Amino acid sequence: MARTLKDLRPVYVVGVGWHRYQNPSDISYVTLGVTAIREALADARLEWPSVESAYIGTALLGMAPGRPMLRHLGATGLPISHIENASASGSTAFRQACIEVASGLSDVSLAVGVDKRNPVRRESTGVDHLAEDAIAQFTHFSLLTNEYAHRHKVSFEDIARVAVKNHRNGAKNKNAQRQRERSLEEVLGGKKVAGSLTALQCTPIGEGAAAAIIASEDGIRRLGLDGGRAVRVVSSTARSERVYDAGLGFDAVLTKETAALALAEAQISPKELDIIELHDAFTVEELHYIENIGLCPEGHGVHLLKEGALDIGGRCAVNPSGGLIAMGHPIGPTGVGQIGEITTQLRGEAGARQHPGARTGLAHMVGVGAVCYMHLLQKP
Amino acid sequence: MEPTLLKPTLYTATGALLGGRCACGHVFFPMQTYGCEVCGRHGADLQPMTLTGCGRLLSSTVVHLHADKARTAPFAIGKVALDEGPVVRTLLVDPDREIAPGTRMVSRIVPIGDSTVDLRFALED
Repeated sequence: MARTLKDLRPVYVVGVGWHRYQNPSDISYVTLGVTAIREALADARLEWPSVESAYIGTALLGMAPGRPMLRHLGATGLPISHIENASASGSTAFRQACIEVASGLSDVSLAVGVDKRNPVRRESTGVDHLAEDAIAQFTHFSLLTNEYAHRHKVSFEDIARVAVKNHRNGAKNKNAQRQRERSLEEVLGGKKVAGSLTALQCTPIGEGAAAAIIASEDGIRRLGLDGGRAVRVVSSTARSERVYDAGLGFDAVLTKETAALALAEAQISPKELDIIELHDAFTVEELHYIENIGLCPEGHGVHLLKEGALDIGGRCAVNPSGGLIAMGHPIGPTGVGQIGEITTQLRGEAGARQHPGARTGLAHMVGVGAVCYMHLLQKP
Repeated sequence: MEPTLLKPTLYTATGALLGGRCACGHVFFPMQTYGCEVCGRHGADLQPMTLTGCGRLLSSTVVHLHADKARTAPFAIGKVALDEGPVVRTLLVDPDREIAPGTRMVSRIVPIGDSTVDLRFALED
């Protein structure tokens, strides 16, 4: 049988860094990227020449943007790979860097996500659709909101509470694109995009960068890194969409399948999760995903939300960074930034956003395709 | 003069949808011969199958904003599970009304310009 990450040698996150996620600006992607990498190197107390390989998660910068960025750190000749996997580009870059270190090919590897808000280009497959040209991402998730609210008899107001929580968390995060608390009235009263979805319930696509440095135990020892601040990656799982019965949304089922594998690989039950960073590009997604990860039965997510169980300090802090809704979703960086938030939380270094006693965290990302990526991190 | 179908590879002038069926039994829309999403059979194992255009609504939404200025909002989108199996996402005839999930739906050919028609879905009569 094929092996999992846990069957290979242990890997640790030893350094994390960001360039703040923000509205589109004139700042070059090179500045965004090297800022995040330098912060991650400083966090790990590591010099750039010790990094043996680099994976660059990016979806909107065109062909091979990595070397023109990394050369400004000193052109060491390290192998560079670009990873494009839609919203999951950063998560995939992180997975590849983990596999590189776990396999023994590198002792220290870099995953960096960087993007600017450029137009998306997708080649036609030659298979036409009835109305895909009229269906934006927010329309897909508005359909899902409509379905969820109807099936579980949940109000649109309650679904919008996800945004209130995540804006509150983002207000405490200096790397978040949106750093303002919002009342339920403000969230509901904003510009309507489709159905009940308002602008403050949707991610603001922007720009930014996030970096994570992954090391083996050999690397940590040899380079004299601080093992006490290292966070172990206990599983890495990825799946893509299959054919599901009509009425079973792929969004929920794909997350359910991937979560089951991730939790089994790490031998962790959903109850043990202290932190979840998940793909809340639209409010209803957070409810769908926590239910399918197994925090509660389907349709019960709103109860947890209203009890405060998903708040920082609650049963499981969901999107303490602010999530895609408040921290933002610059595409390439997003999945790497989730790893950074979980690492910061598990180290106990999250300051005003600290979830007390955080020991185990899950990063979840979906991408157009659809694909789903999950990583479980644990304090050693 | 006969009106022009906007997407003649997807449907007929009477509102039937041009789907396909694999030798494994999987029914899909639209017709293609690249390969079956369930079993991977391809070419002649995939044969055209006309779908009636009747189904059940899974969800609907009224879109208030759209990037393409040529498409004026509001318009409504529905997700319909066709009786033969495939799920399609389609424009609804009624542009500004959400319809309850579970409602029976049927395809309609509607004019969308001087001489062009397109397929939409509406409530079954």
